[in-house]
Amino acid sequence: MLPRIVFVLGKGGVGRSTVSAALGLALAKRGERVLVFEWTVAEPIGPWFGAPPAESVIPAEIVARMSVANFRLDAVLRAYFVDHLRMRLFHKHVIEGPHVRRLIEAAPGIAELMFLGHLWWLTTLAEKEAGLTFDRIVVDAPATGHGASLLELPTTVSALGATGLLEMEVGRVQAMMADPARTGAIVVALPDELSLEETCELVPRTTQTLRRRPIAAFVNRCMPAKAHATTPRELDALTLTTTSREALAVLEAELRGRGAFEAELRTALAGATERGTCALEEQLAVLPRATPAAVVRALAAPILSHLEAPR
Amino acid sequence: MTARMHVFVGAGGVGKTTLAAGYALALARTGAKVALLGIDPARRLQGALGITLGDLAVPVAGAAGVDAALLRPEDSLRRWAAEALPDGVTRERLLANPFFLALADRLAGATDIFAAVRLVEWAERDPTRTDFVVDTAPGLNAIEFLRRPQTLSAFLEGRLVGWLRWLAGQQASGNDHPGILGMGAQRVLGGLRRLTGARMVLELAEFVWLVERVFANMLVRLAKAQAWLKSDATRVLLVTAVRDDAAASVTSMTDALAAVGIAPHAIVVNRAVPDGLGAELAAIDPATLSAGGAMLVTYARAYAAMQARVLAGVAGQAPAILRVPALRGLAEAGRVDTLMALGDRLLRLQAAADAS
Repeated sequence: MLPRIVFVLGKGGVGRSTVSAALGLALAKRGERVLVFEWTVAEPIGPWFGAPPAESVIPAEIVARMSVANFRLDAVLRAYFVDHLRMRLFHKHVIEGPHVRRLIEAAPGIAELMFLGHLWWLTTLAEKEAGLTFDRIVVDAPATGHGASLLELPTTVSALGATGLLEMEVGRVQAMMADPARTGAIVVALPDELSLEETCELVPRTTQTLRRRPIAAFVNRCMPAKAHATTPRELDALTLTTTSREALAVLEAELRGRGAFEAELRTALAGATERGTCALEEQLAVLPRATPAAVVRALAAPILSHLEAPR
Repeated sequence: MTARMHVFVGAGGVGKTTLAAGYALALARTGAKVALLGIDPARRLQGALGITLGDLAVPVAGAAGVDAALLRPEDSLRRWAAEALPDGVTRERLLANPFFLALADRLAGATDIFAAVRLVEWAERDPTRTDFVVDTAPGLNAIEFLRRPQTLSAFLEGRLVGWLRWLAGQQASGNDHPGILGMGAQRVLGGLRRLTGARMVLELAEFVWLVERVFANMLVRLAKAQAWLKSDATRVLLVTAVRDDAAASVTSMTDALAAVGIAPHAIVVNRAVPDGLGAELAAIDPATLSAGGAMLVTYARAYAAMQARVLAGVAGQAPAILRVPALRGLAEAGRVDTLMALGDRLLRLQAAADAS
């Protein structure tokens, strides 16, 4: 069973947003109300579906039953103090004061804590307090690096020895993160050398932080199995100029390399995730019409079935 | 700062690290004394250069004239703390402060600030370097400190810090008379206490008090780095790969750079294929090929078409668009000579663009 909140982790450029959108789409298609929650993403997914980029923490539906929201610290602070804690004056005079605002922006972990606190709120009180109901939240949140530091945050902040409201906030976020029914992580990688290195660090780090393995790893942009059978002689027979032939050979080496790195990733991650490593080949298969929306639609079913197939 | 700086910026995975390394090697061969600063824990780069890199610069074996370092924010911060707080006891108090530990952890992600400060420190310590080649964090993270300079200075400015410092001083002397504080200060501190508890406010105060000198040095160097980045001595190379989001990402980068007064010197389209490839492949019917051959031809066609879109999308966004061809052998374990060949291509393209 997938947890209520799925964190999608991975370095920039590996297709984290694509996988988030595809998972969201697959869940929405089968009737769930889904929120894709973005934080400082390079490319917002709204425009892929003809919607404007999400610029607010207020969810906006971009396809049937799938909404997108974008994390904004000031809006979340306001929601927390004014709507949730009913501390309007405190918010106005203390939190919104320029000095405290700057301190909060610079203070270690406050933004991350507020982000996770907002997720807690969205899955608990938001229905009653704001009429927001989501069966599932997919988090595309690379606050720094590949998003792993976001998961480490409750531990980092609780080490500060806070008491009072912050302690309560940390406590419930920690409980949320520790519950496999409420949170879980999936990891996205690419079949190349850099991503191989990064993923082999990210997966154990995530396991250590969450005290359980990530649900699965997805290797994006893999070469379809049928393509492994390229015969070099066949290419020699093509009528091409020398420079084009050379370029084609480089591209072929790159495609072949993807197969090799995919195999290496599988070996390196064997047993490191609950459901194992899944190669996503659809991106190459939908060529030459590989628009982001086409890729997301092609990836939706294989991602969800890997996450939910009986073991 | 009189040395030249060459900054490689661009989205993640476009080949900045490889290009920066190759460029540094090729520059050194022309007689320059090059400093190469990497930011990612990219073991690939270390493997290619044949050395183990750390926060402190080491000469690259097999490439005379290149010193290389890999940014390690935790190491840098400890060194700068030692520089600013010569007293060992005070320094240990700072290094053990939970806020400092959290800050070090968080700032470790702010590689842009560390890289900028590290570069100025390097230039101060080794004035013989003529050229600094810098790899950067992906995307806009690379210039975050130029866009939001308050991130670091927020701790040092404003009355709140004054109150906290005062509070820390009171705590140290065991004399706590909040009555001396103005009403505004009491309200803010009372609010913070309610939010976080008193102990945390005190630890925060001690932290602010101790870290101030470390930050003050960093801010001085950061200001120098900003001036250096915006001077004629700096060339920003905006790297992109041939992929769907390339044009959008280049546009957002050039816009963000323009907003802080920096214009990229060139856009580097990495792993480019020849112009004619698409047309030549269009004449081939994939159906006559094996499944693998058909996939390759389809992929290569899509790649060529995407490259045409990328080139159209980035046209006019920088004085020069440099196409670095995909080279064989780079995908495999890189070697100094392959990197050098790549850097040479880029250097020659740049020279040709400068000449025209």
